[in-house]
Amino acid sequence: MLNVVVVGAGTMGTVHAEAYQRMTQARLVAVVDIREDVGTALADRYGARHYLRLEDALLQEDVQVVDVCVPTYLHRGYVEQAARAKKHVICEKPIALTAEDANAMMEVCAREGVRLLIGHVVRFFPEYQRAHHLVQLGAVGPVGTVRTFRGGAFPIAWNDWYASADKSGTLITDLCIHDFDFLRWTFGEVARVYAKSLWKQAFNRMDHALVSLRFSSGVIAHVEGTWAAPSGFRTAFEIAGTGGIIQHASDEATSIHTDLRASESGTTGVAVPESPLVKSPYQVELEHFIDCLITGHTPLVTAEDAYEALRISLAALQSVQTGEPVFLREGLQ
Amino acid sequence: MKVGIISFAHMHAYSYATCLKQLDNVELVAVADDNPLRVTEAAKQFGCAYYSDYRELLATDVDAVVVCTENAKHADVVVDAAKAGKHVLCEKPIATTLDDAHRMIDACREHGVILQIAFPVRFNTPMRRVKQMIDEGQLGRIVAMRGTNRGQNPGGWFVQKELSGGGAVLDHTVHVIDIMRWYLNSEVKEVYAEVDTRFSDIACDDCGLLMLEFENGVIASHDPSWSRSETFPTWGDVTLEIVGTQGVTRVDAFAQHLTVYSDLDNKVKHDFWGDEMDLGLVADFISCVREGRTPSITGEDGLRALQVALAAYESARLRKPVRL
Ligand SMILES: NC(=O)c1ccc[n+]([C@@H]2O[C@H](COP(=O)([O-])OP(=O)(O)OC[C@H]3O[C@@H](n4cnc5c(N)ncnc54)[C@H](O)[C@@H]3O)[C@@H](O)[C@H]2O)c1
Repeated sequence: MLNVVVVGAGTMGTVHAEAYQRMTQARLVAVVDIREDVGTALADRYGARHYLRLEDALLQEDVQVVDVCVPTYLHRGYVEQAARAKKHVICEKPIALTAEDANAMMEVCAREGVRLLIGHVVRFFPEYQRAHHLVQLGAVGPVGTVRTFRGGAFPIAWNDWYASADKSGTLITDLCIHDFDFLRWTFGEVARVYAKSLWKQAFNRMDHALVSLRFSSGVIAHVEGTWAAPSGFRTAFEIAGTGGIIQHASDEATSIHTDLRASESGTTGVAVPESPLVKSPYQVELEHFIDCLITGHTPLVTAEDAYEALRISLAALQSVQTGEPVFLREGLQ
Repeated sequence: MKVGIISFAHMHAYSYATCLKQLDNVELVAVADDNPLRVTEAAKQFGCAYYSDYRELLATDVDAVVVCTENAKHADVVVDAAKAGKHVLCEKPIATTLDDAHRMIDACREHGVILQIAFPVRFNTPMRRVKQMIDEGQLGRIVAMRGTNRGQNPGGWFVQKELSGGGAVLDHTVHVIDIMRWYLNSEVKEVYAEVDTRFSDIACDDCGLLMLEFENGVIASHDPSWSRSETFPTWGDVTLEIVGTQGVTRVDAFAQHLTVYSDLDNKVKHDFWGDEMDLGLVADFISCVREGRTPSITGEDGLRALQVALAAYESARLRKPVRL
């Protein structure tokens, strides 16, 4: 049994806390958040204690794992603090906003002899796992081109931190990174990147990104991400090989469509799509991470993978700014 | 716990065996089948003992059996299993006649063994979610329902009436009727049905349409046809639409899939990635046996669904609604 402290009681902190609640191998003992009300509410819900500062939580509680769910620009500070206290670290993606920060995080964890696990959850979504598996099996033969889509409405969060590039790293670093990681997992290393986005051209909240990736294997991938939709969230991909095509569209793979009547008390009617699973991919991911901490097994996604995904994001951002392709690897002509 | 499987005539047996293999503290110890090739191959595949006569399997110390014979043989096998003191998970439909179904239920009650009917759709995660929505009253009072369980003609004994008891209308009515009864906590009062053979040249029905009314006044329809063509991207479907006074919901048990266009097979196929419902069913049966609790899907549930399917045949023959 591992005791966990979750740092950051926002959207992701809540999802992680709920996942620990359902686990037999881990227990949520504390929640750290600078907001008293939000932190206390989450801690109370799961019978944990709220602290304003991580150092107090580490002093008062018997903790083996620190799970970092604060906004991305704060990842490094908490990861370093946890590692120095000899706690294993689980940290939300993206690992950090710069390669320098990411390197520093990996180094301190190595030096202190603790593990660093980054929540690239897409590898735990059954539809992405299935597609990865089908590609490995050669179900569609050698792959030529791939297209992915991910996005929806601009995320509402504490202090509107997603809106500032130096806190979230922009749409490309925050959201497209999911697909960069999935694609790298499935098709290997990326040789070059070319990208266009609305970053710095328009209001941040309307960001939309189009990214071209060329893999060392020759695969050509197009990654589209958006925060420009008025509502909702959806994902899609298409993997085209010489022997067939694999398609996914989350809005078509939705099992339940509910339309609720506006009530007499004045609430408006709502349409609610749902695609329920017994275990959410976040739960599967965190159970896997906890299992890896207990057994010492290598996780399905490593900190090095997270670092490589960040490098692709940074290359895409560089390309957006320069209008030039960015070469990550030699080899492909 | 030791479990045996009696017959692989129904292909679901392979899935149940795979599920049993995945459960902790459960051992698939033996299989029985009067088809010598099938039984030796199954025994090899699942690494267990085999018998050509199921009575030999019943004479061993297995705690429970999964029965996947041809429908018409369910009754004799289940009654023998009950007499031997074995708990039973029986493939649907429970039987081909109401008399047989009663015989099975009575024997299991008399010998104090569990009889659970394999309606795995109750363990489909989206279907369970909708059950929860209804029970919480989110949709208000339910007033109407529409169901489909279309498929492809499985051929073989499924189209031999003396073994199957009927074609598409029996095979593909019982699942959805079971879900409707489960959602509504009410029984079917009246059935009107069209039944015909329109997709292939066989001696039993391959399509139809059921129009239903429940005791609580809910109106419903259901399509059980083996109407999916060879190029249809999947074996079939299970869908329901539920109309309530506060909202409407549509649920598709197998919407969670990728679409794979395969030049190798010259076919478009759905590749399902949702939760595996057979595992939920088998795990529930095992836990019922272990805890000695009433099965979540009883012999009576199997009987009620069979009644509706048989009433559909009668209605089609009489060309008028049949009251239950
Ligand atoms: N894997 C995914 O699918 C996914 C989805 C969303 C977000 N994320 C990632 O999760 C992280 C958190 O995002 P979010 O959407 O939950 O943000 P959020 O704004 O909803 O929550 C952040 C929380 O951190 C708290 N906080 C702020 N500064 C703090 C500090 N110095 N110390 C302690 N707590 C502090 C805030 O009060 C807030 O409760 C980000 O890195 C984001 O990229 C991942």
